[in-house]
Amino acid sequence: MTAPDQPTARGTNPADGRIVVDNLTKVFGNQRAVDSLSFTVEPGSVTGFLGPNGAGKTTTLRMLLGLVRPSSGSATINGMNYESLPRPLQTVGAALEASSFHPAHTGRQHLRIYCAAAGLPARRADEVLELVGLSQVGRKKTKGYSMGMRQRLGLAGTLLGDPKVLILDEPANGLDPEGIRWLRGFFRHLASEGRTVLVSSHQLAEVQEVADRAVILNRGKLVRAGTLDELSAGTATTVVRGPALGPLQQALTDAGFGGTSEPDGALRIRTDQLARVGHLAFTHNVELHELRLEEFDLEQLFFSLTEGEHQGAELDPPGRGRRAGLPYQQQGGAR
Amino acid sequence: MINLIRSEVLKIRSTQVWFWMLLLSAAFTSLGSIVTSVTAVNDYHDGNPVNYYDVFTTSQGAGIALLVLGLLGLTTEFRHKTITPTLLATPNRWQLLAGKAASYAVFAIVYALICVAINFAIAIIWLSAENVPLSFGHGVPGGVAKAFLSLVLTGMFGLGLGALLRNQAAAMVFGIVYIAILDNILNFVPWIRKGYAYTPGGALKAFNSNGHVEGMPGDVHLLAPAVGGLVFLAWSLALLVIGGRISLSRDIS
Repeated sequence: MTAPDQPTARGTNPADGRIVVDNLTKVFGNQRAVDSLSFTVEPGSVTGFLGPNGAGKTTTLRMLLGLVRPSSGSATINGMNYESLPRPLQTVGAALEASSFHPAHTGRQHLRIYCAAAGLPARRADEVLELVGLSQVGRKKTKGYSMGMRQRLGLAGTLLGDPKVLILDEPANGLDPEGIRWLRGFFRHLASEGRTVLVSSHQLAEVQEVADRAVILNRGKLVRAGTLDELSAGTATTVVRGPALGPLQQALTDAGFGGTSEPDGALRIRTDQLARVGHLAFTHNVELHELRLEEFDLEQLFFSLTEGEHQGAELDPPGRGRRAGLPYQQQGGAR
Repeated sequence: MINLIRSEVLKIRSTQVWFWMLLLSAAFTSLGSIVTSVTAVNDYHDGNPVNYYDVFTTSQGAGIALLVLGLLGLTTEFRHKTITPTLLATPNRWQLLAGKAASYAVFAIVYALICVAINFAIAIIWLSAENVPLSFGHGVPGGVAKAFLSLVLTGMFGLGLGALLRNQAAAMVFGIVYIAILDNILNFVPWIRKGYAYTPGGALKAFNSNGHVEGMPGDVHLLAPAVGGLVFLAWSLALLVIGGRISLSRDIS
């Protein structure tokens, strides 16, 4: 009855690991949850899959994994749909929700069940428990696990077959700060091993730190996709503060620069020409307290591309009005 | 397929349900054996013929435990959302269903063997202690084989019913109410009782019988045992296929 240990998929073919989503559509009743979505995740890349709640991220991932049938289009891994993969757990590791455990099973039992299904040796369960720091609680029933432990157990399950491709849906949900810190290290570990990782997350800072690509979704449609360098092109922002920026604001407008006027009087100018802005301030005799280039912020880009749907209302500090200053837009509008 | 069966057997073994269902099977079988043995002893001492068929086929009474075990096969996966990792490991849904059926058949066979053994042990000890001669004629070998098969088929029937209903509570209530109450009422309901022989309960009764079932209304004629077995097998397979088609074809979201 004992199946021979199967070789792991990782490293068998360096070209493996490409995810291709082609014109994928899913319609639930009258609602198009995913609408003609196309993107590619390159082998060995870490790709953030971003979008507000209800954007269609989870539905897309479930279609990719064969759990939800597409209305049209296709989603493939290594050129095959998930159902056709000969050894799925050795090819793709997926964690979709943090509650897919039988409460009467221990974490170790849960993993050993899927080791058996994949023809992996039972000791692999102990190895991945060690990897995610759950060795001490591996023999406890999952009904006693905290949300953080459940997330870790889900992530342990993705590593069972040592797959080259990992698909993670909101792995940071419900994690406390310590868990977030652990997850950041986990992402770094996966990235350093050259795995293909597609991760949907609201923890944009965590994604930005390790991702080299991002796919941004809104209302089921692709908004932007590309490397972080490509996405950051043209998004550089120069921030200027000073006691009286009116003349500089006018000079910037005359010079063709656009940007926003902050409630605290600062100007955010859409350019990376720091020296040019400084020169304009100097030639117009404007005193500056701050002149700096703001680094690319995935969160800012995400909010601007998803029309701020994901962002709460901006609160005005008490007793402080906003400054007008056309053509600069006031903060709280589109950035 | 062997990996899948190992995985499914491990799933069943990893909780205590299998143990409690085995205990329930043993309890039903023991109770049935004691009742039929006492009746046999009384019949023998009263000079009436002993119904050896009934004495050695009481293990069929453990069917309700096998039904519950089968019902839990798929409904537990949906209740605890383990269907997601299960389908990630075995994406082919028909292969999963076949693997589950094979795994539950393995358990049902073990349960059935234990129940038959308990039935024989109690009956032989009881009758011997009361100086009732033992006899394994009167269709006993065939009856034991049918009791054994009916337990395995009842497990499959439960698995299919669970696949069809998907909701664990609904499947458990319906399954138990059907076996314990509805089945005994249906053969008295006008119009329905004409087709009772073809219901799962009617077919199973016919299969387990020695050609005659007491307590049935005069105008209800059960099928021949072999035909009843085939009809119950057809019900089990149909539920598995239809349940698999309906439940497993749905989106898992």
